[in-house]
Amino acid sequence: MKFLYKYGTIVAIVVVIAFFSATLDSFFTYANFSDILRSISIVTLVAIGITFSLIVDGFDLSVGSTASLATIASASALVLHRQELFVALIIPLLLGVLVGLCNAFLTIQLRLPDLLATLAVMYIVNGVQLTYTKGFSIYNDMPLPEGGVAPGKFIPSFLFIGQGELFGIPFSVLLMLIIVVCAHLFLTYTKAGRMFYMTGENREAARLTGIPVNRYRAYAYMISGAFAALGGIVLASRIGTGQVSAGAPLLMDAVAAAFIGFSVFGAGKPNVIGTLLGSIFIGVLLNGLTMMNVPYYAQDIVKGAILIFALALSHIAKK
Amino acid sequence: MSGLRMNEIVHSFGDVTVLNGVNFHVQPGEVHALLGMNGAGKSTLMNILAGVLQPTRGTIAIDGKTHTFFSPKDAKRAGIGHVVQEVDAALFPALSVYENVLAEHIVAQKQPLFSKTKQRSFVTQLLARVGLEHLSLDAPVQTCTLHEKQLILLARVLSSSARYIILDEPTASLSDEETNRLFAMIEQLKTQGVAFIYISHKLHEIKRICDRMTILRDGTVVYEGDVSLATEDIVRHMVGRRADVRQKHRREISGEPLFQVKQLYIPKTKTTVDLTVRRGEIVGIAGLVGAGKTELAESMIAHVKTTGERIVRGKKQAWSSPKDAIEAGVCFIPEERRKQGLFMNETVEKNLTVRLLSNIAPWQWIDKRRERTIATSLISSLHIRPSSPTALAKNLSGGNQQKVVIGKWLQTNGDVFIFDEPTKGIDVHAKEEVFAIIRSLADEGKGIIYFTSECQELLHIADTIYVMVDGRFIKRVKAYETTYEQLVHDMSGGE
Repeated sequence: MKFLYKYGTIVAIVVVIAFFSATLDSFFTYANFSDILRSISIVTLVAIGITFSLIVDGFDLSVGSTASLATIASASALVLHRQELFVALIIPLLLGVLVGLCNAFLTIQLRLPDLLATLAVMYIVNGVQLTYTKGFSIYNDMPLPEGGVAPGKFIPSFLFIGQGELFGIPFSVLLMLIIVVCAHLFLTYTKAGRMFYMTGENREAARLTGIPVNRYRAYAYMISGAFAALGGIVLASRIGTGQVSAGAPLLMDAVAAAFIGFSVFGAGKPNVIGTLLGSIFIGVLLNGLTMMNVPYYAQDIVKGAILIFALALSHIAKK
Repeated sequence: MSGLRMNEIVHSFGDVTVLNGVNFHVQPGEVHALLGMNGAGKSTLMNILAGVLQPTRGTIAIDGKTHTFFSPKDAKRAGIGHVVQEVDAALFPALSVYENVLAEHIVAQKQPLFSKTKQRSFVTQLLARVGLEHLSLDAPVQTCTLHEKQLILLARVLSSSARYIILDEPTASLSDEETNRLFAMIEQLKTQGVAFIYISHKLHEIKRICDRMTILRDGTVVYEGDVSLATEDIVRHMVGRRADVRQKHRREISGEPLFQVKQLYIPKTKTTVDLTVRRGEIVGIAGLVGAGKTELAESMIAHVKTTGERIVRGKKQAWSSPKDAIEAGVCFIPEERRKQGLFMNETVEKNLTVRLLSNIAPWQWIDKRRERTIATSLISSLHIRPSSPTALAKNLSGGNQQKVVIGKWLQTNGDVFIFDEPTKGIDVHAKEEVFAIIRSLADEGKGIIYFTSECQELLHIADTIYVMVDGRFIKRVKAYETTYEQLVHDMSGGE
C-alpha cells in the first residue's frame, strides 16, 4: 500500500505506456513521443504556476484564461502591431503578473476565498481577451475591420519557441525541462523556497516565526500568473495563431497534474517534479485515447475521473 | 431520594484513574459549586453526567431512578443540561436566535412539519425566562454579545425542560454587570425548581451565588457542604498538603530593563497593562483561563492589532507584525504549539532552522550541511527524541514538540522570550527540561515572560509574579514573598 502510494504515479505511467504500445502500432514512435512532449510542455508550465499557488495553501483557477490572454497578447503584438520578439514575450508575461496581482489583492487584502475570487478573475480575464478580439482569432494576413490586411506576422524567432528543435529535441520541451529543474532547485534549496512551503504549511506559525506570509502569498499568485502567461506564449507559438480562449482546456489538465504531483515519491505536498510526472501521465493518457479514437468530448470524463483520483490520493497523503 | 446522585463514580483513561469513587449530590433547586484545581477531575465528572463519557464504574440516579447515559441524548432526556464554556462551539452563528434556541427541540421532535407561530411563541417564552425579552427572534446569533449567546444556550437547555444545568466557567469572559444579570437569572430559575452545577475558579462568586459546594482533589471528594467555609480553608482543600512546593531561592535582579510595555491595550478584555522585564529576570504572569493571558502575549508581539508603547533596551518600537518584534529580539513561544508553533508535516530539522535561514543561506542558497550541523547540535543539547533530524514534527510527543518550538529561537539573537503555557500537555520529565532551558536563558541574561495558570510552576521558576484577573494586573509580588495558597487566592479574584 505504501509502495503503491509512493511510486503509484510512476507505475501508472509505465502501465499506460505499455498498454498503448501493445494495442496501438503508431504509439511507441519518436514522432508521437515528441508530439506528446510538446503538448505536455505547455500543460506543465501552467501546472508549475498552480503548484506555486498550492504550496502557499492558495488556489488559482484563473490560469487557463490567463494563458488565453497571453496567447492573444503575443499574437496581437506580432500581427497587429508588428512588434519584435522581446515585446511579444514581455507584454503577455507582464499581463500574467498583473492578473496574479489582482488575485493576490482579492484573496489577501480583501480576504475573499481563493477558489471564488480566482473563479471571478477567470471570467473577467476571459471576457477581456474576448472583448479585445471581438471573438475573432488573430492570424497572419488577417483582414482588418478598417480595410487592408494585418501589417505584421508571426516572426520565425517567435515560432521557434513552440515549433523549433535543438539537438533533435523540441525547444519547448527543453524550455520546460530547464524551468522544471530551476523551479525544483529554487523550491528545495533556497531560503525563499523554504518560506513558500512554511507559509502554506501553517500560516499562523509562519507569521509568528516572522515570515512575511502575505508577501509570499502574493509572490505565489504573481508567479502563477507569469507561468500561465508563459504557457500561453508557447501555445501561441505552437499553433501559430492567436486563438481566442485557447488556454481554457489547460486549466483542468494543469490542476490534475499538480494534484497528482502531491503523491509522487510520497511527498505529500505540492512539488514541481511531481507536477511534471503528473502532466506526463495525463499527456500520455490523452494522446493514447485520441489515437484509440475516443472523441475529445468523452476525454473530459477521463480528466474528471483522474482529478478525483488525484484528490483522493492527496487527501490520503495529508493524513 | 430526591435530587441528582452520582454514586461511587470511577473513571480511568488507560492506567490513569481520574475519578476514584466520587459521590456527588445535587438537590433540586439549589446552586451547587464544583471546585478543584486543574486536573482534579471536574471536567471528567461533568462529561460523565452529560453523557459524553461513560464511567468505568458507578451509577447516576435522578429522584431515585437509576439512569445509564450512553450518549448526550440520553442525558438530555433525563433532564441534564450543559452550557459549555466555549459557547461559540455550540451555536450556529449565521442562523437566527429563534433557530438556535430550538436547535435541539427541532432535532428531537418526530413530526416533519411544525407550526411556526406556536414555535415562535414557545421561543419568546423561553427567552423571557432567561431575561432576553429585548432580543429579536430573527437576529443572527453572530451579532449577539457573548453574554447573550450564553443565555441563548441556556434557553436552548431549558427548551428540553432540563432540571439540572451545568454551567462551566460561565463568568470567565463576562463584565461585572453581565455577571450580575446572569446571577439574577439563576436566582429566578432556582425558584422554578431548576438546579445548577456551577463550575468556577472565582471563589467570591461562588460564595455569592452558590448554596452548597463539592471540592474535588485528585479524583476524590475532599469536602462537601456549606459555602460559608473560609476562603483560606477552601483553597487548602483544593490544594491539599503539598510537600513538593519548592520555594524558589531568592535571586536579586538588578539588570537594565530589557523589555517594557506601557499602556498596552488588550483588545479582547478592553484593558491596558504595564510591565517591565529586566535582564536575567523571569517574570511570571499568573491568571486563570479567560483572564486574558494569551491575548496579552499576542498583543505584546503585535500578533493582534493594538495600541500602546513597547520599549526594547530603552528604545521605543513601532511594530506592525510579529516579524518586527522578532527583529527587535523578542521571541514568542505560543500556547497552541500544534496550531501556532510547528510546521507539523515538516521535519524537525526544518522546524529548528526556520529562523536561522539567513545564517545558513546567506545568498539564498541553503547550505544543507550547515543546516544539518545546527539541527543535530540543537537536538542533542535539548535531548529531543527521536534524535533524527528528519523525523516529522507531527510524530513527536508533546514534550519533544515543545522543545522543538523553543529550540528554533535558541540560536537567534533573541533577548526576550515570551512563553505562553509552555508546559501544557507535556509530561513531568519534559516539564523539568523546559524549566532548565528557561533558567539557563535567564542566567545568560535574557529576559523571560512566563504566562501560566499553574501557580506552582511560577513559584518554582519566576522571580517576579504578576497576578492577572479579567485583563488587569491586580498584584505584583516577588516570588519568594508569596505562597501557593496566596496565589491561588489572588488568581480567583480574591477579595
